[in-house]
Amino acid sequence: MYDVGLKPSMLRSLIRQYLPAANQPLDLNTSCFELPKLVSVLQTHRLLSELDSHSVGPKLINAWKLAVDDWLGCLLSLLSSDMSDKCWVGICLLGVTCQECSNQRFLTSYSVWLDKLLSHIQPPSESQLVKIASCTSLSDLLTRLARFPEEGAASLLYTLITFFPASIHHSYDKVEAAIASKILSGKYSTITLKKLGYCLALLPKSKGDKDSWSLMMQKILISINDHLNEAFQGVEEEAKSDDARRLLVTPGKDLPSPLGGHTSLESGSYNRTSSERLPTATISTLMFCCCKMLTSSYPVQVTAPVRSILALVERLLTVDGSLPPTMLPFMNSVQRELICSELPVLHAYSLELLIAIIKGMRRQLLPHSAYVVRVVTRYFKICALPELRIKLYSIIRMLLLSMGVGMAIYLAPDVIDNSFSDLNSPGGEDFEISPVNTGPVLPQPSNRKRKHGTKTGSVEKQEGANPKGGESNIHQMTPINVKVAALDSLELLLTVGSASKSDSWRSSIDSLVIRTAINSCKRGWGNVENNVFLPNESASLWADFQLSSLRALLASFLAPARVRPPYLSQGLELFRRGKQEAGTKLGQFCGYALFALEVLIHPRALPLDDFYSAYHNPTDGASNRFPENTYSGSQKQNTLFFSAAQRTDEGAIKSHNDDLYNKWLENEHNAVEDMKDKTSRPNDSSLANVLEVSEQEPAAANADVHMRGEDEMVVQPRRLEEPIPKSQEIVSAKVDKSPPAVGTNLEGGEIESKKALSASDSLNDIDHDMLSGVNKVDDFDTVSRKTSSTLPNVEKGSSSMAHLESESSMDSFPNIVDADPDTDSDSV
Amino acid sequence: MNVVIASSSIDGGIGCWDLQTGAEQLRYKTCASPPHGLASIGCCFLACSQLRDPSATSGHVLYWSWSKPQAQVKSFPAEPIKPLAANSEGSYIVGGGSSGDIYFWEVASGRLLKKWHAHYRAVTCLVFSEDDSVLISGSEDGCVRVWSLFMIFDNVRQQQASHLYEYSFTEHTLRITDIVMGYGGWNAIIVSASEDRTCKVWSLSRGRLLRNVVFPSIIDAIAIDPGEHVFYAGSRDGKIYIAALNAESPPSNNYGLHIIGSLTDQSKPVTCLAYSAEGNLLLSGSEDGMVRVWDVKTKNIIRMFRHSKGPVNNILIVRLPYPFTRTESKVQASSRRHESLRPPLEKYANSSDEDMDNKAIIALPDTIDLPSYLSSQLINDHVKQLQQQGSSAAAEMEVKRLKLDGQRSMEMFQQLKKVYDNLQEFCVNELLDGQAMEGSKGN
Repeated sequence: MYDVGLKPSMLRSLIRQYLPAANQPLDLNTSCFELPKLVSVLQTHRLLSELDSHSVGPKLINAWKLAVDDWLGCLLSLLSSDMSDKCWVGICLLGVTCQECSNQRFLTSYSVWLDKLLSHIQPPSESQLVKIASCTSLSDLLTRLARFPEEGAASLLYTLITFFPASIHHSYDKVEAAIASKILSGKYSTITLKKLGYCLALLPKSKGDKDSWSLMMQKILISINDHLNEAFQGVEEEAKSDDARRLLVTPGKDLPSPLGGHTSLESGSYNRTSSERLPTATISTLMFCCCKMLTSSYPVQVTAPVRSILALVERLLTVDGSLPPTMLPFMNSVQRELICSELPVLHAYSLELLIAIIKGMRRQLLPHSAYVVRVVTRYFKICALPELRIKLYSIIRMLLLSMGVGMAIYLAPDVIDNSFSDLNSPGGEDFEISPVNTGPVLPQPSNRKRKHGTKTGSVEKQEGANPKGGESNIHQMTPINVKVAALDSLELLLTVGSASKSDSWRSSIDSLVIRTAINSCKRGWGNVENNVFLPNESASLWADFQLSSLRALLASFLAPARVRPPYLSQGLELFRRGKQEAGTKLGQFCGYALFALEVLIHPRALPLDDFYSAYHNPTDGASNRFPENTYSGSQKQNTLFFSAAQRTDEGAIKSHNDDLYNKWLENEHNAVEDMKDKTSRPNDSSLANVLEVSEQEPAAANADVHMRGEDEMVVQPRRLEEPIPKSQEIVSAKVDKSPPAVGTNLEGGEIESKKALSASDSLNDIDHDMLSGVNKVDDFDTVSRKTSSTLPNVEKGSSSMAHLESESSMDSFPNIVDADPDTDSDSV
Repeated sequence: MNVVIASSSIDGGIGCWDLQTGAEQLRYKTCASPPHGLASIGCCFLACSQLRDPSATSGHVLYWSWSKPQAQVKSFPAEPIKPLAANSEGSYIVGGGSSGDIYFWEVASGRLLKKWHAHYRAVTCLVFSEDDSVLISGSEDGCVRVWSLFMIFDNVRQQQASHLYEYSFTEHTLRITDIVMGYGGWNAIIVSASEDRTCKVWSLSRGRLLRNVVFPSIIDAIAIDPGEHVFYAGSRDGKIYIAALNAESPPSNNYGLHIIGSLTDQSKPVTCLAYSAEGNLLLSGSEDGMVRVWDVKTKNIIRMFRHSKGPVNNILIVRLPYPFTRTESKVQASSRRHESLRPPLEKYANSSDEDMDNKAIIALPDTIDLPSYLSSQLINDHVKQLQQQGSSAAAEMEVKRLKLDGQRSMEMFQQLKKVYDNLQEFCVNELLDGQAMEGSKGN
């Protein structure tokens, strides 16, 4: 199999077996259909490569060379055959040879091949298959040619490949006219038109200067505009088209020549009678062309007419087929129906164009972002078709990601409103009862042309045929993939924007997300490899929905908030269950979610580098360029530090090595201590508080148990909030009192109690409850220090401190902090 | 390659060193910068506002491309500009004027997109958030303000809102000297330093003061470590204090609450700081004209760059996308095309034609089109086509149909033959009969 020596003879036997001899007639049914096999053998064994020449003997090299020579001889004789089928075989295989042969051989003989191939393109009498094959082979030849650095200009060649004949930049206008006339005629299939549109978009690259891009863009926009003026007569106010025109053509400047020269436009637009059909295919191809121009690379910076593109998008999205109130209905109903039936396609392309602008402009969209947001949110209110909604959601996600927080503040209300209505509408629940029955609920890709204005009629007709239940309101259901899009957008909103001004919506979103996640996972897990009879998408759709709902759930837990995530325990339960689905994406994600949430439960704010060792291990200073500086600097520093913070020393090192373990141990120690303290001083003023605690404790514990035990969400976070600030205070109070109590551990006492504090921060509520008892402390300084040492944790929002921050603690918390600047400034 | 860029308030040019090797690169000429006046514009080129004599009425901003020592573009804004900042992509530059106005320019066109009155006195610092959607400014009057750029560009919302800014922090009593922003979008913290000898830590999400740290001396520069464990404060007494953010601060020490140590080299006042995440290095600029590189772990100086005799007042660490020296020629080639065309910043808004308001100069994203070979796919497609025409099932149907046709034709033929035979018989009979008749008549 890997023996290089066999390759020449393999190639020869292939020639014998598959290539028809020049004088024999070709038997189409046998040899022709074996071509793919021949190609695959060639490619697998790299029979034409003539590689490894250094590792094998000259004899083999020679044999291989002769075999390839024979191969090429056969191909060329096939190429020159007058039978078109033989020709076809030869041309196809020559293309493969261009891809597979050695560099040396390619360079020596590509010009011959090029001539041969060109000769087959030019005569008009050749069969269609042969022409297509020659073009393809030629393209392969050029592709190969582009890889040689001395030929350079790969981009130019890429253009050449896309356009034939080769010397495109000399006949730029001709090519433009040719492509434009084909697009404007609108007579080709969608795929062909798209390819043509792409070619048109790439055409300015062949010149590669700033002006030809802008000119092409302007021509295309004007052409779209003209078509729209014609199409939208009667469904929009006349003023609109004038506005659009004014943006496109600067007053006082000359109008550019129409796209592809005037003749083609004239013939294109007058060939059809406008009442028969809309030029949808043409308009959408031109818009596709705009998209491609905005998103493909270009050698120089260009001036993009952002405003007029946005105006075009807005214009298209505002037309919904209804008659403007100020106009008399002079349009007949046939025309209106026609427009309505084509509008969804146009809307879809407008949204694509919007996406392209966002992609192309990136941060520079800033001056126009408010306008974009207004267009998007206005359209969100009226958009009802699933495909369009999905696209809108994806636009929203792009905006959130690329524009950051500021955008999140703007978009939040609309995202929330819309995802609420999408996620709350029925659909998901019915869906899961009989997953086999899902087909009709899904929007079929071909459904694009549903009437926009009259949703109920056509949709019901299509889907009402479904014999199973739920027909009556099936059209009101939100398809699952819209829900997926809504969930994804919520997830992003939570990640990007939840830190800012989110108080008003946070709790409702959290509950919506947990409800959706629980519902989606209620009936087990969506099976990705469902059954072979269903199309792929529908089988994995449910799994996608579950995955998205769990992702949104994780985001709602991790997003910064001022209260403890209220549904954490249910969420953890879901993730744990999901994790057991090994081998699925969902299982993988749940594992990741549990991993990410671990930090929420055991918060840590570790130094970036091992910061403490810097202070406690005097440096070797060996690699120092300035030894004298080092010693004067760092030695002094070290002594300073030691004198100042000797007592932290031990604790700090300990905490760094085995943080959590020590925290736990010390906490236990302190809890016992605490109890001792309390019992030893029964007459203390804290007695009343102790009693209070003993009342509170079971309540809080109950809440906790309640929360974990049931699936209901009746947790009362307020209960838990109260004790926590107190617990801090008691711990800090102990700071002063514990050293005498410990006695033996004078040096480490304070440190340990501090550890206890941070431990209690990170532990669960029960610990807080145990500790909480005394709520009056006089030592203000200590308190503020304690508080502030935990404070950055709160800022991160990623710690269990989050639940510490109810409104009540919010009020008390910053006061403590505010107090210390005051005291400090007094002392200064 | 990471390079250190430093400029001074006395004309010593802009120094540029490779942080890794310490080798000095090009020195960009004629630059006397105010604090926070030096900015790298999207790593494409350098911009620096210039100190001018106080009587000058217009500002002065210079651009240098990486490859040339001479300033290439000179701009003269309407008033003296001190702080400059650019967004990460390098598409916008903001400048703070001495009147308290903030100027917002588009780099590609040089157009002044916005100008707004931000402070009552001169702007001293400008900082972009990491997602470029928020701008923070500090002023001589001690005020720190947070601006959402969306608000700045949204005329509709501006009319509804009572003020342009998101937050205005007024707790500092004297001139703001430096502002840094931490990690985490809108959940980040802001640290500001002021001549009132304090540094204050603010929460962006809540818009309030979190911590106040009082220092023994005025702080002119701050740098935050990426883990937000501590921040470093460069002081006029020559020390760099280390103040706690997440770190535990010791109960008492020589410096004051939250200050957990210092880096010191007995040098002159520290004027600027920069933190290099690569290797956890802290860079400090001093009034003695030196740039010191500290290893924060060991607190040692590991390198020193001499900039000039005058005070260094700006340090930047810039990641150049290419090795500086090797591709010099390439840089020049590309810079000639891009940078020489970069227009100067405009003095006034709307001075250009209005048409440009509707347009934007953009560099289209680089997409990589991988060329791919098509022939083998084409063979498959064509063979499929051919097979569809001649598939055995289709052929079978065709044969059946042909057979049927044949049969039908056969029947037709038989029928016609019969008719013909009949006809012939008839004719022959007629003929024979006629002859017989004639014969009989003739008889």
